[in-house]
Amino acid sequence: MADASELSEEQRKQLEEKLKSMSPKELKQLQKQQCIFCQIIEEKVPSKTVYEDKICMAALDIAPASKGHVLIIPKEHYMIMPQVPDPVLGHIMVIAKRLSQLMLKSLRASGTTVFAANGAVAGQRSQHFFLHLIPRKEGDHVLDFQEKIIPKDLVQKVKASVENRLLELMGVKKPVDETNTEQIGAESGNNVVEREIKKLEKMPTQANQKRTRKKSIKKTLKNSEKSAATENTPIQLDDIANLFK
Amino acid sequence: MEKCEYCELLEREWSVIASSADVVIAVKDKVITPGQITIFPKEHFTIMELVPEPILQQCIILANKVSRAIFESLGSQGTNLLVRNGLGAGQDAAHFGIEIIPRREEDGLNLQWEPRQLPEYELETVYNTLLSAIEEAQQTAKKGLIAEKKIVKAEHKDNYLLKSLKRRP
Repeated sequence: MADASELSEEQRKQLEEKLKSMSPKELKQLQKQQCIFCQIIEEKVPSKTVYEDKICMAALDIAPASKGHVLIIPKEHYMIMPQVPDPVLGHIMVIAKRLSQLMLKSLRASGTTVFAANGAVAGQRSQHFFLHLIPRKEGDHVLDFQEKIIPKDLVQKVKASVENRLLELMGVKKPVDETNTEQIGAESGNNVVEREIKKLEKMPTQANQKRTRKKSIKKTLKNSEKSAATENTPIQLDDIANLFK
Repeated sequence: MEKCEYCELLEREWSVIASSADVVIAVKDKVITPGQITIFPKEHFTIMELVPEPILQQCIILANKVSRAIFESLGSQGTNLLVRNGLGAGQDAAHFGIEIIPRREEDGLNLQWEPRQLPEYELETVYNTLLSAIEEAQQTAKKGLIAEKKIVKAEHKDNYLLKSLKRRP
């Protein structure tokens, strides 16, 4: 991938123009070419694959959290979980369950962690959505975190703020979402992300629900706005995709 | 016998956001970060391995919707999906559940592990162990590890729709 700092302003513009002129199909092709997991699926990059079917594959993580750490990767290129069609996601989880069962037996694990990251702030480092399945043993310190008790009014606030949108998503879906799940990939997936970004832009006004975090949200928003404005970071797949949102 | 934390949540109206016949979406009061939402089967299944596959599929599909709803209404910039399955994984209530955790920049949460570099022979050993366990399982269960019934059905449905479209005068 080209480093943005090596490109002149002119070249950058040209690249952006070129990307803009590409069809969604061409763009998807480009994403696939740039995606290490798509390369693994196409066997252009070697991997330790333990399981494979039409929909997904499971391979050992090269930098594992523990021995036997497996990634369950959909064969289709989806960037984040909301883009993954329901039947595919359901299938991946079923495979996670079955592999988990085998891990408990064959690796003598005393538990497994199923983990996924959506978005860079959540620790997502690749442009291809997948599930982590990590065999665990007590005291292995793979994921250590503290839990806290939140008061009833905060529970109710969380419920109130998510309820409407969630019920909408669960209820009768709009025809656009309803149509052929196979096609969900690029287009409606991008719509989802677009909506998310719009929400984020409106966020300062909504943030009063989270009084305590309001300040830090504003700060991070400003920071990200600033960094977006200066933009001297290398071109990532994200940037390419962002051009088409 | 003391009631399970999740089974109790089921009956607490102010915690439950939504539910289907088999699955509940609720806000727990013991969380990693506020805004966290839990999806769990109504029936008391202790670990993932015991959850029937159709219910497990429902759980993850709903978890995805919860993740979207959190994105869109809590103004988070990302989400984590987490299942602590079994004691070794830090499961602290004997009821299977999927957690969706909202994330923001500099939120102070550490949900990352230390990546390990395993020596090649150890990787090879664990690889072979898993491979043979999976092969064995595929052989014993006639249907194998694959459950594609649903998706095959969906394809049929599409074909049928296509056909009926073509049939139209």
